[in-house]
Amino acid sequence: MKKSRVMWLVMALLLFFGVSTGSFATTATAQAQEGKTYQIGTDVTFAPFEFQDAKQEFVGIDMDILAAIAKDQNFSYEVKPLGFNAALQALQTDQVDGMIAGMSITDERKQTFDFSKSYFEAGVAMAVKQGNADVKSYEDLRGKNVAVKIGTQGYTFAESIKDKYGFSLVPFEDSAQVYDDIKTGNSVAGFDDYPVLAYGIQQGNGLQLAPTEQEAKGSYGFAVNKGKNAELLQKFNAGLANIRSNGEYDKILKEYLGESGNGVPAAKLGRFELIQQSFPYLLKGLLNTVVYTIVSLFFAFILGLIFGFMKVSHNRILRIIATIFVDVFRGIPLLVLAFFIYFGLPGAFGFTMPLFVASVLALSLNAGAYVTEIIRGGIQSIDRGQMEAARSLGLPYRTAMIKIIIPQAVKLMIPSFINQLVITLKDTSIMSVIGLVELTQSGKIVIARTFQSFDIWLVVAIMYLIVITILTKISNHIERKVSNG
Amino acid sequence: MDKIKVTGLKKSFGSNHVLKGIDLEVKEGEVVCVIGPSGSGKSTFLRCINRLEEITAGTVIVDDYNINDKQTDINKVRENIGMVFQHFNLFPHMSVIKNIMLAPTELKKSSPAEARNIALKLLDRVGLADKADALPNQLSGGQKQRVAIARALAMNPDVMLFDEPTSALDPEMVGEVLGVMNSLAKEGMTMMIVTHEMGFAREVADRVIFMDGGYVVEEGTPEEVFGNPQHERTISFLEKVL
Repeated sequence: MKKSRVMWLVMALLLFFGVSTGSFATTATAQAQEGKTYQIGTDVTFAPFEFQDAKQEFVGIDMDILAAIAKDQNFSYEVKPLGFNAALQALQTDQVDGMIAGMSITDERKQTFDFSKSYFEAGVAMAVKQGNADVKSYEDLRGKNVAVKIGTQGYTFAESIKDKYGFSLVPFEDSAQVYDDIKTGNSVAGFDDYPVLAYGIQQGNGLQLAPTEQEAKGSYGFAVNKGKNAELLQKFNAGLANIRSNGEYDKILKEYLGESGNGVPAAKLGRFELIQQSFPYLLKGLLNTVVYTIVSLFFAFILGLIFGFMKVSHNRILRIIATIFVDVFRGIPLLVLAFFIYFGLPGAFGFTMPLFVASVLALSLNAGAYVTEIIRGGIQSIDRGQMEAARSLGLPYRTAMIKIIIPQAVKLMIPSFINQLVITLKDTSIMSVIGLVELTQSGKIVIARTFQSFDIWLVVAIMYLIVITILTKISNHIERKVSNG
Repeated sequence: MDKIKVTGLKKSFGSNHVLKGIDLEVKEGEVVCVIGPSGSGKSTFLRCINRLEEITAGTVIVDDYNINDKQTDINKVRENIGMVFQHFNLFPHMSVIKNIMLAPTELKKSSPAEARNIALKLLDRVGLADKADALPNQLSGGQKQRVAIARALAMNPDVMLFDEPTSALDPEMVGEVLGVMNSLAKEGMTMMIVTHEMGFAREVADRVIFMDGGYVVEEGTPEEVFGNPQHERTISFLEKVL
């Protein structure tokens, strides 16, 4: 009987995941045409190649080229803004079919991926804070920090010269963070692809180009996993040739890199307008944060109930299983767990894992381990005499648990549950590393467009505070009701 | 006829041998008081009778049911063995009357209305009819223990086990609990009582058992054990407590 119940739970879980994933995928969809819809991974913050405009649409050189080629070659695709590193891993593990993210074609990458013909040429340039005239050459970096974005050519180049010129690298996930680190003075300079830096400076990110040459000039290419999706690659190359010859390509480049900088509003918004403009987008992120928290906690609670009762059972095997569950999922950092579930498992076993499933799985396994301990602790803190009194009356173990132990234990558990609610809500932000657009990731995306980190992070922080305060108040109210009732 | 029959009972907690071979028969309607120094195994012995402790060796038979036989439905047997604990173990989240009604209603012995009637009668019997809707933590120790007795009686058991029922009480409350137990004994209930109340044992018990070091050292009528103890360990124990 117990077995069938567990089976039922697993079925319900799968069903739930299956139903829910469709509605939660974070995607920008092109007009559907015929045949397969390709999943294309990209970065979230790599202006001018890909970024979200004020209307929350993904635009940029890569996006426009991709759209033009898809139209020319008549295929449909979905853009997955995962972040550069996450997209690389997603491509490697076949979570996406292709990737376009201002990615330089290198021999090293060619080992793992197949590249299209180059669609853009650019080199690495150095940027410093606006008005900084002290850094004129690499020599001036000695003993200083230099900010770079992980996985980029800027990083590789900076690393190759850091010993020679004696500076330290400060690696970041996003360009916006690189710029902020330079602006705040932690790093004296940064290396990134020239068009990226140029566009950011044009948008007023507070930096200027250093008077050094562009280095390590390279070609940008569209990538597919090695030996996979040859057809997609072929279409990309054919389409690229077509839009180069019909002038479409030049038009796109001019839009983002032309001197006038038209097409993209360069006018700086006031503080209030900026917040007002980004607010709906941040709210959407917040909604995701709350939804993921609630769904994850729901499953965490089920896991906690199962393993919590296993932990207090008389059966040694069940206790050992539950202990292993807790030790494993409490012992693995949530960040590692998320990477493992989203990239590791699908890569090793050759299946695709929807982002929603991966996020909820990571969050609920992690929280489930803690809930297990809360439930175990609550039950074990009830005096042994309560169970003995109930059993001595002839009540079966189950009835005694349900009628006597659990009602008393729940009261003791509520403060810990509230605590776990707050922790899990904040932990959803960790899922931004696998591309989940929750509140933190929404903030990152807005900053990638606007470069206004102070205002946006402030708004994001306040949003977290408000929601957590409201949830805590509600929970406290419930706690009072339970202990009085 | 023997209500309880214990043969060769041994109980160890790991390497700690608490009961080292106990034989005992309790007849229907008999009141047996178990006395002895602390650590002698009295409470463990009592708890083996309704299998709150799993025994290591021997047999315990209550009402012809072998308590430790896997075939025995222990819950069914326990319905017939009421138990009262040193620390009352009332359910703090339930009112007094709910405490008493729980087992009859959960085990489908009575309808809620019947169970309520029974509970009220039992409360009346232990002198607490006015406390039906009180919560346990609003009662004094003596009142709590009387509720616990009423709760144990709710399933109308044939046997009652008392595990030091007055040890946790303030002295002025001991009397009210012993009074209830005394009247139970007079009604013919089969009772086993682990107690330090020698006066009560002398007055109420049909038989007194002295335990020490995991053995029954001496047994007999109260007159024999208290008036003319044979074993030197009994003598030295009684010298200390009387």
